[in-house]
Amino acid sequence: MRLRAAIAVLALAGIAVAGYLTIVHYAHTSPICTTGGCEKVQHSSYAELAGVPVALLGLLAYVAILGTTAVRGVGASLAGAVLALSGAAFSGYLLWAQIARIHAICQWCVGNDAIVAVVAALCVARLLGEPSPG
Amino acid sequence: MCVNKSRLLLLGGAIAAAAIVAVVLIVVLPSGSGSGAAETMTATASTPQSTTPVTITDILTGIPQHGDTLGRASAPATITIFEDPQCPFCRDWMLQTFGAVVTDYVRTGKVKLVYRGIEIIGPNSEPGLRAIYAAGQQNKLWNMVEAMYRLQGAENSGWITESTVRTAAHSAGANADAILAAMNANSVTAKLNQAARQSQTDKVQGTPAFVAVKPPAQAQMLNLPALDAATFESALNAALQ
Repeated sequence: MRLRAAIAVLALAGIAVAGYLTIVHYAHTSPICTTGGCEKVQHSSYAELAGVPVALLGLLAYVAILGTTAVRGVGASLAGAVLALSGAAFSGYLLWAQIARIHAICQWCVGNDAIVAVVAALCVARLLGEPSPG
Repeated sequence: MCVNKSRLLLLGGAIAAAAIVAVVLIVVLPSGSGSGAAETMTATASTPQSTTPVTITDILTGIPQHGDTLGRASAPATITIFEDPQCPFCRDWMLQTFGAVVTDYVRTGKVKLVYRGIEIIGPNSEPGLRAIYAAGQQNKLWNMVEAMYRLQGAENSGWITESTVRTAAHSAGANADAILAAMNANSVTAKLNQAARQSQTDKVQGTPAFVAVKPPAQAQMLNLPALDAATFESALNAALQ
């Protein structure tokens, strides 16, 4: 129960970050930024995937992860773990892209990376600790 | 914590599935947002909803163009425009809003535009900026800016090449050989340095950025929630009051 609650809280934080970046993307505005590289990252080709903002994909993933916390059982744990691990791996790639390809750091992206990494660890812990049916 | 074998197998499956999803996303991602597709420029004049397709030649004909400045030298207000030829939002502004701004403000003598090209997307922007400033020596800078945006490719994909410059110069009605010869001239480098310095002075954090000034009022960065003509002109009117 505590793990599910912790995952839900972090998913809500992720929804806030990804939601903000999605709004910024569609409004064609600049995110609030103290690192100076947010706009460069948000305007780079890495900010969209086949025309869909990466932030929107992140938002949908967090909503789905939040949904898995509302359900008990191994199935929900497994779904949450797959989503969170996928997100963590993809976020890791985007962090590499910021450093090595775009040469700019977006604080919102790094914040999201930290959230999704912790969510992934908690989802794995939940999967391993979820009581077996019956 | 005691973990049974079946649960570890599930975790292994989750990791494998996640790896597949991540690889698919990474493979799809570099598709980029740029496009070289031709578009029709629109000038919206005072009624932004009723767009009239025009060419860059239609928009600029009869308007003084000297180096990086477009419009009458006597215009009471100046808009300094910070752009990067690789910036997709700059392209959107140029192809969708520039015509209306020129029609409503520059042609009427209210405003003159000053181009400040800065490298913000990546190193491939520099040859594009050099080509644009070199075109300014032929008083074709604004034509060249527009022509480069029409050829824009994915950011940092290396799309700005000699061939791109030649094609853009031809579209802009400029002498391509002269542009290529002037790209590394000290005068062009000085323009790049001037733009970079001014972007720092004006605290430009991204492109496109627009700084409007109508002396004796202070210069101010336009705060734009969107880049369409109606929004831009509303923000500009507020800044020039």
